[in-house]
Amino acid sequence: MDYDPMVMDDAESLGPVVKISQADNTRVKFELSNTELSFANSLRRVMLAEIPTIAIDLVEIEANSSVLADEFIAHRLGLIPLNAEGIEQLLYSRDCDCDEYCEHCSVTLNLHAKCTGDDIMQVCARDLVPVGDRVNQVLGSPIINDPEGQGPLILKLRHGQEIKLQCIAKKGIAKEHSKWAPSAAIGFEYDPHNKLHHLDLWYEQDPKKEWPPSEYADWEEPPQEGEPFDYDAVPQRFYYNVETAGPIPPDAIVTEGIKVIQQKLAGLIHELTESDGGENGYNGPRSPGYNEGGDNWNDQGSFTPYGNGGNQSSWGGQGGTTPYGATPYGGGQNPWS
Amino acid sequence: MAALDDGFEALLEPFYNGKKLTDPISTTQDKFHLVPAFLKVKGLVKQHIDSYNYFVNEEIKDIVRANRVVRSDQDPNFWLEFRDIRVGMPTRTEDGEQVQSRNPVTPMECRLRDLTYAAPVEVDIAYTRDKNVIVRKNIPLCRIPVMLKSAKCYLNGATNAQMEVFNECPLDPGGYFVIGGTEKVILIQEQLSKNRIIVEADEKTGGVMASVTSSTHERKSKTYVVLKKDRIVLQHNTLSEPIPIVIVLKAFGGLSDNDIIELVCGGDARYQDDFLINFDEAGRAGVYTQQQALEYVGARVKMGGNRPKFGAAPRRNHAEEGLDALANLVIAHVTVEGLDFYPKAVYIAMMVRRVLMAAQNPKLVDDRDFVGNKRLELAGQLISLLFEDLFKKFISDVKYNIDNFFKKPNRTSTYDPHGAIMANGHYISHGLNRAIQSGNWTVKRFNMNRAGITHVLSRLSYIAALGMMTRISSQFEKTRKVSGPRALQPSQWGMLCTSDTPEGEACGLVKNLALMTHITTNVPEEPVKKMIFAADESVGPIREYTGTEMHSKGSYIIHLNGTPFAVTREPKRFAARFRTLRRRGWVSPFVSIHINEHFSAVHIATDEGRICRPYIIVKNGKSMLKAEHLKMLQLGQATFDTFLTSGVVEYLDVNEENDTLVALQEDQITNSTTHMEIEPFTILGAVAGLIPFPHHNQSPRNTYQCAMGKQAIGAIAYNQFNRIDTLLYTLVYPQRPMVITKTIQLIHYDKLPAGQNATVVVMSYSGYDIEDALVLNKASLDRGFGRCQVFRKYTAELQGYTNGRRDRVGGIMKDEDDKPIVKHAILDADGLAQVGSKVESGQTMIKKETPLDQISTGIAGDRGSDDYRDASTNYRISDPAIIDKVMISVNERENKLIKVQTRQTRRPELGDKFSSRHGQKGVVGIIVNEEDMPFSDKGLRPDIIMNPHGFPSRMTVGKLFECLTGKASVIAGEKDYGFGDAFRSHPVESMGQALIDHGFSWEGKDYFTSGITGEPMEAYIYNGPIFYQRLKHMVQDKMHSRSRGPRAILTRQPTEGRSRDGGLRLGEMERDCLIAYGASQLLLERLMISSDGTELDVCQECGLFGYKGYCNACKSTRNVTQMTMPYACKLLVQELISMNVGVKLKLEDEFPHPR
Repeated sequence: MDYDPMVMDDAESLGPVVKISQADNTRVKFELSNTELSFANSLRRVMLAEIPTIAIDLVEIEANSSVLADEFIAHRLGLIPLNAEGIEQLLYSRDCDCDEYCEHCSVTLNLHAKCTGDDIMQVCARDLVPVGDRVNQVLGSPIINDPEGQGPLILKLRHGQEIKLQCIAKKGIAKEHSKWAPSAAIGFEYDPHNKLHHLDLWYEQDPKKEWPPSEYADWEEPPQEGEPFDYDAVPQRFYYNVETAGPIPPDAIVTEGIKVIQQKLAGLIHELTESDGGENGYNGPRSPGYNEGGDNWNDQGSFTPYGNGGNQSSWGGQGGTTPYGATPYGGGQNPWS
Repeated sequence: MAALDDGFEALLEPFYNGKKLTDPISTTQDKFHLVPAFLKVKGLVKQHIDSYNYFVNEEIKDIVRANRVVRSDQDPNFWLEFRDIRVGMPTRTEDGEQVQSRNPVTPMECRLRDLTYAAPVEVDIAYTRDKNVIVRKNIPLCRIPVMLKSAKCYLNGATNAQMEVFNECPLDPGGYFVIGGTEKVILIQEQLSKNRIIVEADEKTGGVMASVTSSTHERKSKTYVVLKKDRIVLQHNTLSEPIPIVIVLKAFGGLSDNDIIELVCGGDARYQDDFLINFDEAGRAGVYTQQQALEYVGARVKMGGNRPKFGAAPRRNHAEEGLDALANLVIAHVTVEGLDFYPKAVYIAMMVRRVLMAAQNPKLVDDRDFVGNKRLELAGQLISLLFEDLFKKFISDVKYNIDNFFKKPNRTSTYDPHGAIMANGHYISHGLNRAIQSGNWTVKRFNMNRAGITHVLSRLSYIAALGMMTRISSQFEKTRKVSGPRALQPSQWGMLCTSDTPEGEACGLVKNLALMTHITTNVPEEPVKKMIFAADESVGPIREYTGTEMHSKGSYIIHLNGTPFAVTREPKRFAARFRTLRRRGWVSPFVSIHINEHFSAVHIATDEGRICRPYIIVKNGKSMLKAEHLKMLQLGQATFDTFLTSGVVEYLDVNEENDTLVALQEDQITNSTTHMEIEPFTILGAVAGLIPFPHHNQSPRNTYQCAMGKQAIGAIAYNQFNRIDTLLYTLVYPQRPMVITKTIQLIHYDKLPAGQNATVVVMSYSGYDIEDALVLNKASLDRGFGRCQVFRKYTAELQGYTNGRRDRVGGIMKDEDDKPIVKHAILDADGLAQVGSKVESGQTMIKKETPLDQISTGIAGDRGSDDYRDASTNYRISDPAIIDKVMISVNERENKLIKVQTRQTRRPELGDKFSSRHGQKGVVGIIVNEEDMPFSDKGLRPDIIMNPHGFPSRMTVGKLFECLTGKASVIAGEKDYGFGDAFRSHPVESMGQALIDHGFSWEGKDYFTSGITGEPMEAYIYNGPIFYQRLKHMVQDKMHSRSRGPRAILTRQPTEGRSRDGGLRLGEMERDCLIAYGASQLLLERLMISSDGTELDVCQECGLFGYKGYCNACKSTRNVTQMTMPYACKLLVQELISMNVGVKLKLEDEFPHPR
């Protein structure tokens, strides 16, 4: 419990060290050293799944005469990467005071396209227009990287077809849905010469020919001929290759990832130090209490996953009577008749 | 070539191995381009369409010509003649029977409006009126269903743009019918060939039997020549007992005993010795002359039966009876003209000879399972059988009408047959419709009654529909445990798919056509007869030869469709010359010729239903297919038919194949080679063609995939969203398989795929992957892997009733706050569901109402209630859906037709079924978060983790190949790698090199790290893209539980089945377990309390049931006690009592009170 945040900032101490070898606007390659495998992997996992970004979460469809079904389009919209710069200023919808969503916890984008020409019209991400107040001018704007400046294709329209909808983009993490993932692929490896013998190099004739060396092989000393195996060695240098999916620059993914780990640990410390914190502060899911839950919960003493009471058949009464003398849709205690 | 874009252009124009027009062409490499050329001409389901076209264009005319004239028994001067018959183009019928309608109708309209896609049939007639001949043209007769894409269909030859206008998918194969809105396929029927001699041996008695099924337009009968205890007899249905063969031959007349023995045995002493005994039989029966023989036969002809009923016809004597039977019933397909029995005598002698030969040498027995002895009946033939029957019935109805008219002594008008034709014609329409609708084929004159001929076209996936069109069903009983008909026949090579057959009871009986199979239609015999004589000077008519000459060594009898026709002494030269005539187009390419050395016979076949297949001709060790031919094909200057007439390719049927030596590849050609395969992979059918590297798989795995490919969800057709099918599954993001085969391109599976390329790693993970379960990546599902849409149709028809009342669509019911009640929440003002709204279980989609009064006449005081009863269509599935489409139309009966289509979008969940293309199915065992997935050093995370235990016992090496090939082609961007054709070599070495060049291991394994710990996997992991199909079996449609629920009325036991919210049965074996365990209370609870336990009053005095504590038999309440028993038991007791079986219950206290 003697957590000292200062240790991390002190480069001269034994804290983790990051050495960036290559960085551009889509990927960053770096080496993390002086730390343990579990921490290195935690960072990788967090960068994959727990960095908050923004993605379209709700779609209100006003008009859709395209060939694609509403939920089909909604699914596609969700996967369009949106700029997440300044995401920390946006609240999670569940933490916001508003009823459903508001400008503090969401960004609204409009899409309206109608094909009037004879050619097939492509509706792309750039046609998504952010509206209303935003925490900053870029948060929630679609990311467009292609040379034509179109962005990802959403759907195609033919003459006379129209699409009009409003998208609500919300903050979230990839654990909930992968549309919130900030990173695409994260390369991760250590010990390029297999000095630790964490794997067994299976080969047919000659491992050197058949197994191309790792690109990090030059970074570490190759094992000496006849070098004795060091049983106590632990992995120390980890090589990352982080590629962004768009919403956050690759270097920001790394810093954000570290931040998320920090926050998670801080939360843990907070929970552990504030001894009375457990009961009331808990906001996570829990099993339903007595007398809670849906209306159907208590009435029949039985419960099927789909909400209708146990004595009701979902299929109508086809010749069968229920023990209570009523088929669900043919009179009796039909709640709707 | 016409600008007919049927999707084959891409295959033909830039040769699709990435070849340009300027690239060199090697016949060895590129000869498979004949396959797309063939399919372009013949199409995938051309067999059906050809057969149907032959019927509507030719056979229907022959049938009418054969039954042309109707005469009256009453007025000998009157006749009615049908001079011509024509089938028009499909039209709409606005009210029921109106045949005249000239409104063209599209197949799509028929599907949507529940109409029948049928065309009017018109006849030209001529009849007499007062010695004048009156000719009337274009009299509507009936309507016959039209096969899609046939000559009578608007889709025939339509371009893609036209198909789009028709709302039709350009890739749809056609070949089916639309009857009442449902698509019906007439399955290909497999039968033993007709009019051919089949010799069989009876293993038990050692007898030999030659049989022939004669089939003519009038009748079908089977004649046997049986060798039993050294004596040969002839058996036939109409003969009450077997007749010694010599008597039969004598009855034909004009044959001396010497002639007979020569015809049968020739000069061979062995056969003569065997046959001689039969003369004694005739002598014993006292038959020496033709007259005696005819009387002998006539006395044994069965009376009655289905022989023509001439009530007034004079009773004939035995000799006439015998003459008639021999002329018209025995071997009916050999016609007797002017009492010339010689051809028939030769035929029967030939049968006897075959029997004698088989008795001498058991190897000469025929194989019934040999594909050359089979004939396939297609839609056209089956319809023509039916049509002929119905037309004959129609003729007799018209004749009855005519007779009735002329029976009247004083007629007021002259006779006009128009009315009779109009009145009786619709029986033909109805008969055809009903047969195709129900699949029951009833042909009275053949006593044929077959069920299950037609099936609803399965539109589960494109492959399912295609597979159905190539399916062949056999007439064998499914229950019989015989292996012969089910076994794979060597003669099946190239004709029938070796892999595509169902598992289980129909295994081997239901087959599928291979890719290049063609089924012949009938070719007229007469021109062929002329050609036989013209072909070679050594050929002479059979009549000019004596028996000895015929059967002498070196002379060969030429059989035309199984009937001896001519004799030659130069069979090889004759066959070669005849083939040359065929290759030059003087004879139809579908006439086959082969030499049978065992029987010294040359067989020429022109009949329909033979299975054949094209081959490249090889002459003098040189393939006739030259590079310039392929060049011409490439330039579009030639079609497949050009090569057919120019002697490059020819069709061989199964029998002719036996005369050939076929090389698989050009380098295997020797001097004796006669033909070369166009492409070896065409021995597989369309469905088995989807499998990459099938030649590396264990064969049952390919068969399993053939069954599963039909269940895969994917794109159905380009018009899939315009269709309203009862159940339609579509994949949200279908992908072209990474590894394809040429077959896939040929059948356009790459355009309508059913599956997705999943990145698969082969390793065990989490323990939730045992027994073939799969591990799925949650993020992949988020991104749309395996996502599918399910559409369901709900229909309602607003019927009219005889009293003029009609069903109606009622309004919405409101609650106190003037809001629609929950049940009607999604209804619009018109009483139909709103498009786009979410419908939950129990809600109404079509608020149909039926009048309570459907019978009152409305005359005088007879008026019923004006009220309506709710007959709405409700949504009954527990998971909600979205209303996708609402269609309102009018059907054939002029009733309003309402169709509502609902849509569900489903993402894969635990328990959903997936399969690769190698018969490796599995259910989802666990869905794992992406960060927990193992990943490669490049950061690649799999979509699916597959357990390696699936490989050793299944031996699906093809799957490993698919994975590696897919990986190499993805990494290298090389399209060429991405082919997994059967029986071809693959660039494995260069693929391995490509992998190494891009930093991967050559054998497809990579360094993987555990996502959970961050430690590397100890071993390298095999990974790559594999095409995975999502199968239609989904948990959502199957999950079921019940605590309480409906019960059956009769037994009061819980209902059965998920659809009735039924209980889960505790069966006999479960009961046994509980008894053995001694869990008596649990048993009591399960079998009685939770089921049908009832409280009953039983009288201890009389043992009968009481009522409310009172025994009606004893008139007392004294001894009545209550007890609990199963209701089913009570029911049994009462039923027994009702049948006068007394049942009395004697009660005893199990735990008596101590008194």
